[in-house]
Amino acid sequence: MPYTDPGRPPLASASAYLWWVARGQAGLVARCVAWSTAAFVSAAVLPYLLGRAIDTGLDHGADAALWRPVLLLLGVGVFGAVANVIEHRRLVEGWIRSAFRSSQLLGHHVTRTGDAVTAELPTGEVVATVASDSLRVGEVFWIVPRLVGAIAAYAVVAVLMLQASVALGVAVLVGLPAVAAILALVVKPLSSREAAQRAAAGRLTTFGADTVSGLRILRGIGGEEVFAERYREQSQKVRRAGVRVAQTESVLDALKALLPGLFLAGVVWYGAHLALAGTITPGELVTFFGYAAFLTQPLDVATEALRILTRAVVGVRRILRVLSVPPTGADTREHPLDLASRDTAQPAPSLSDEESGLEVPAGRLTALVSHDPDESAAVALRLGLLGAGHDATRVRLDGVPLAHLGLAEVRRRVVVAESTPHLFTGSLRDELDVRGGTDDAARLAALHVADAHDVLDSVPDGLDGHVTEKGRSLSGGQRQRLALARALLTEAEVLVLVEPTSAVDAHTEARIAERLAAARTGRTTVVVTASPLVLDHVDHVALLDGGRVVAEGGHRELMDRGDLASRRYRSVVSRAAADDAEAERALDTARTLDTARTLDEDHTREEDDRATAHR
Amino acid sequence: MRLPIADPTMLREHTAALLRRHGRALALVLVLHVLAALAGLAGPWLLGRIVDAVGSGTTTGFVDRAALWLVGAVIAQTILIRYAQRSSRILGETVFAELREEFVTTVTRLPLSVVERAGTGDLVGRTTNDIDRAQHSVRFGVPRILVTSATVALTLVAALVIDWRVSLGLLVGVPTLVATTRWYLRRATPAYLRESAAYATLNGTISESVEGARTIDALGLGRRRRDRIDDDQREAFAAESATLNLRTVLFPGVDVSFVLPIVAVLLWGAYLVQAGLTTVGAVTTIAVYALQIRHPIGELIYWLDEIQVGATSLARIVGVRSVEPDRTVGPDRPAGEQVDARDLRYAYREGHDVLHGIDLSLRVGERLAVVGPSGAGKSTLGRMLAGIHPPTGGTVTVDGVRLVDLPLEDLRGHVALVTQEHHVFVGTLAENLRLADPDADEAQLRHALASVDALDWAESLPDGLATEVGSGGVTLTPGQAQQIALARLVLLDPHTLVLDEATSLLDPRAARHLEQSLSRVLDGRTVVAIAHRLYTAHDADRVAVVDDGRISEIGPHDDLVAAGGEYAALWRSWQQD
Repeated sequence: MPYTDPGRPPLASASAYLWWVARGQAGLVARCVAWSTAAFVSAAVLPYLLGRAIDTGLDHGADAALWRPVLLLLGVGVFGAVANVIEHRRLVEGWIRSAFRSSQLLGHHVTRTGDAVTAELPTGEVVATVASDSLRVGEVFWIVPRLVGAIAAYAVVAVLMLQASVALGVAVLVGLPAVAAILALVVKPLSSREAAQRAAAGRLTTFGADTVSGLRILRGIGGEEVFAERYREQSQKVRRAGVRVAQTESVLDALKALLPGLFLAGVVWYGAHLALAGTITPGELVTFFGYAAFLTQPLDVATEALRILTRAVVGVRRILRVLSVPPTGADTREHPLDLASRDTAQPAPSLSDEESGLEVPAGRLTALVSHDPDESAAVALRLGLLGAGHDATRVRLDGVPLAHLGLAEVRRRVVVAESTPHLFTGSLRDELDVRGGTDDAARLAALHVADAHDVLDSVPDGLDGHVTEKGRSLSGGQRQRLALARALLTEAEVLVLVEPTSAVDAHTEARIAERLAAARTGRTTVVVTASPLVLDHVDHVALLDGGRVVAEGGHRELMDRGDLASRRYRSVVSRAAADDAEAERALDTARTLDTARTLDEDHTREEDDRATAHR
Repeated sequence: MRLPIADPTMLREHTAALLRRHGRALALVLVLHVLAALAGLAGPWLLGRIVDAVGSGTTTGFVDRAALWLVGAVIAQTILIRYAQRSSRILGETVFAELREEFVTTVTRLPLSVVERAGTGDLVGRTTNDIDRAQHSVRFGVPRILVTSATVALTLVAALVIDWRVSLGLLVGVPTLVATTRWYLRRATPAYLRESAAYATLNGTISESVEGARTIDALGLGRRRRDRIDDDQREAFAAESATLNLRTVLFPGVDVSFVLPIVAVLLWGAYLVQAGLTTVGAVTTIAVYALQIRHPIGELIYWLDEIQVGATSLARIVGVRSVEPDRTVGPDRPAGEQVDARDLRYAYREGHDVLHGIDLSLRVGERLAVVGPSGAGKSTLGRMLAGIHPPTGGTVTVDGVRLVDLPLEDLRGHVALVTQEHHVFVGTLAENLRLADPDADEAQLRHALASVDALDWAESLPDGLATEVGSGGVTLTPGQAQQIALARLVLLDPHTLVLDEATSLLDPRAARHLEQSLSRVLDGRTVVAIAHRLYTAHDADRVAVVDDGRISEIGPHDDLVAAGGEYAALWRSWQQD
């Protein structure tokens, strides 16, 4: 454990999946069944031997006649103890193998699908599937061997009882399943009340976690009492729901005593009559009593099996839904993506995007600017084919369409780093160096470029320090700068950065921009931004509007030029001077002009001047 | 720094106090369970009587009466179990509700400095996992332990009453039972804690992979993530194996401990029967008891094990109570609105001051922009000015009264803080707003939303202001979440506001939109805006440049630009022209 390769399950149906898992551990399943049967049957035989011992009359002391059944009882008891523990070990093994295999399949699959998996299913549901549904698969391999063992024990008891008395045997065989059926009827309303309580309790847990997560915000504005009160109210709701469950559940508890108890009384009464008539011995009466008590166990196993199997089928269906999400193709089972080996002598490729008309010059730092940040981000994602729905034939790397390179090669050469990427739990040293083979000097250098040295101070132990889940212990700006350092350390031939400094202050942004330009000298870099502090340091700027590149040039050049496109550029960049609404109005006007081309440029200039006058 | 964990003494005292508060209910539960267990012992006893009667020859009348007695005992047991189970379950629910409510109330009153140092993760863990684990023990464990111990004790008593000589045979199993159980229980808790930690890590790794699926794709992290999952599974497997090995000793030990008494009772009983000291029936009854006692003792061991795990969770829940408050309410209440900081110092770690004696007087109604590099202490200054936690040196006062001497509900009427964190609480939109003013009516809520430009989208939600938002409800954009935060400020109506990069995590477009809503909220208030977008600074009455825990420049924008310092340099590079 774990499997080196969890294999490929059939995705057609839940039963096919379970059968596939079972076949994968067939020998183990067989051993589980064998030992379960042994354990159950040896427990079933105990009342029989007890009866035999009592039938010796006990009145000759511990003589040979008594020793025989008693030693047998001891032997069966000890054998049962051994069988029990071996059964338990095998069952746990079967449980772990099947559960872990499912969890491994899921865990591996989600690393190949990209965000298609969360587009298909809500994140919470996928996580729940991995956390609980794979355990449901394990439960199947826990209960089924026990069910087989229980049925075997039930059969053995039935045969033994029928031999002693047909009537009692039939009573046990028919009576107990009837009792189980009646209990199952009561369980139904109970489970709906339990579900209500679980739902209320789930909401309570959410409230609790929510209040604690938002505690810092609550502290800023007050409201702690309101939330504590709300938690108390929900807690009382859960309590009341729990009391309702207790009403029903205690009835069930009582019935669990009543029905087998009455059945037992019936067996004792009838058996005593048989014993009086001499049809059975007193020892056999004791045996029947023992059986009637023992047989509740196989019944419990059977009802448990029913519950587990129903739940498992639902769980496996959810597993299959996740496993059916197709992989992106960059990192497949046949060709796992391995970025560990790095080509140090890299060329600096150029990049072109037919759809927007963007030409990214080789070895330079290019900025993508747009009034609508989503628009420029979309082009950036397309350059690296990140996300779904890109036409890979229309983006070219050094003239070669990305479709020809294959997604794995694209991932190796073009790295797209989004504005708020995910930070993973782990030591800073590991989490920064995603491609392997980087030394600490390079790590520190990258942290310097991203101006993220303060992160080293904020986690104890420097590079050995631990990044907690989602980087929660870090501020938003720290997370962003850390992610930037991580992206830089990929040393990708083409690095595409989407708004890499949106969460940092002006001082820091200015420093990062300068260092970034220096660090990527001679290599191809694209940065999506509208910040003048960053644009000041780029080699080349492309302005997008309506999905197309409408102006290109140096930042200074675009700031100083007098044409329509440059004015639009300025209105995007110089937010400091333009009131938002007016800038937008000016832009809308400009766009209308652009498309309709009905008004002359003087008029436009007038519009623009008016906007300027408001500044 | 971790949050405190209760030591055994504190845990014991707390549990004892809790039980004392429910003493009567507990006594009732115990009596009912004892009676129910007693009724359950009738079966084997009557069986023994019948065996004796059949042996010595009797009438069907006796058998019928015995069966009727048995039916009577079963019915009595049924009724007793019904009420015993009901009251013990209700007791469990009540006690646990009390426990969790106390905990959450304590948590919401924790000093923020403690929360921040300990991290949210620890608290969320206690609120969810620990509460969950403890509830299993409190709600089910305590009642089951009562039932099973009562059953075991009464079975022994009954056996002794029926025939104390024969009952001696039952003791044969005690040494092995006690020895294996002790051996096991001593080792079980750490092993099971390791196991649940291993599963938590594994689940955490996989959820991270799901949540970060896009980043994994973008950076080609697949293989690393798969290796991580395999490592976690290896550890989970090792932990499972460790607990399995413990059970491998426990199970046979317990099983054999239950076979030995049956054998002993039969052999020793036969000797006594031969000697005329007892009857076959008594031996039968006690042998059946020996067979039956296995179930309650097995369950008892299981719960003793579980309750140890529950106790470690309970220690973490109760432990939070030992955090000392960091503010004590003083007698004075301010009348004016003048906020001053004098020689303000703060150190997160002793000897490492983040703020080095800041003096700052806010002018009533002014807008002060605070700019400066990351890590300069801007946010710390903001938190001190909002009275979130006490400074380690110097004072922050409003009208001469220290902020940390004000009760929290008063403090928020004076100064409020909005940070870049946005969190939509689970509940309706209206509930999210009423945090700031529990008594606000619908009209006030609408007014607050309208003042931040949020009424339109709020009304277009499926159920308007009654729409469930937050985790599990309608997802709001970060911009909308921040508008809600601002609407709360309108309801709260403090005279002084501290905005700590309130818009910095939003995309630039949403941020600009929000700045407009903001300006309306700010009207007529004293505002301290910690900002990284310089146009905020440009609009402010004064700008304070914070560098390395000190205010290096302060004054109106134009003066600072004219002075040609650091601010001027930044402004020029921003301004371009």
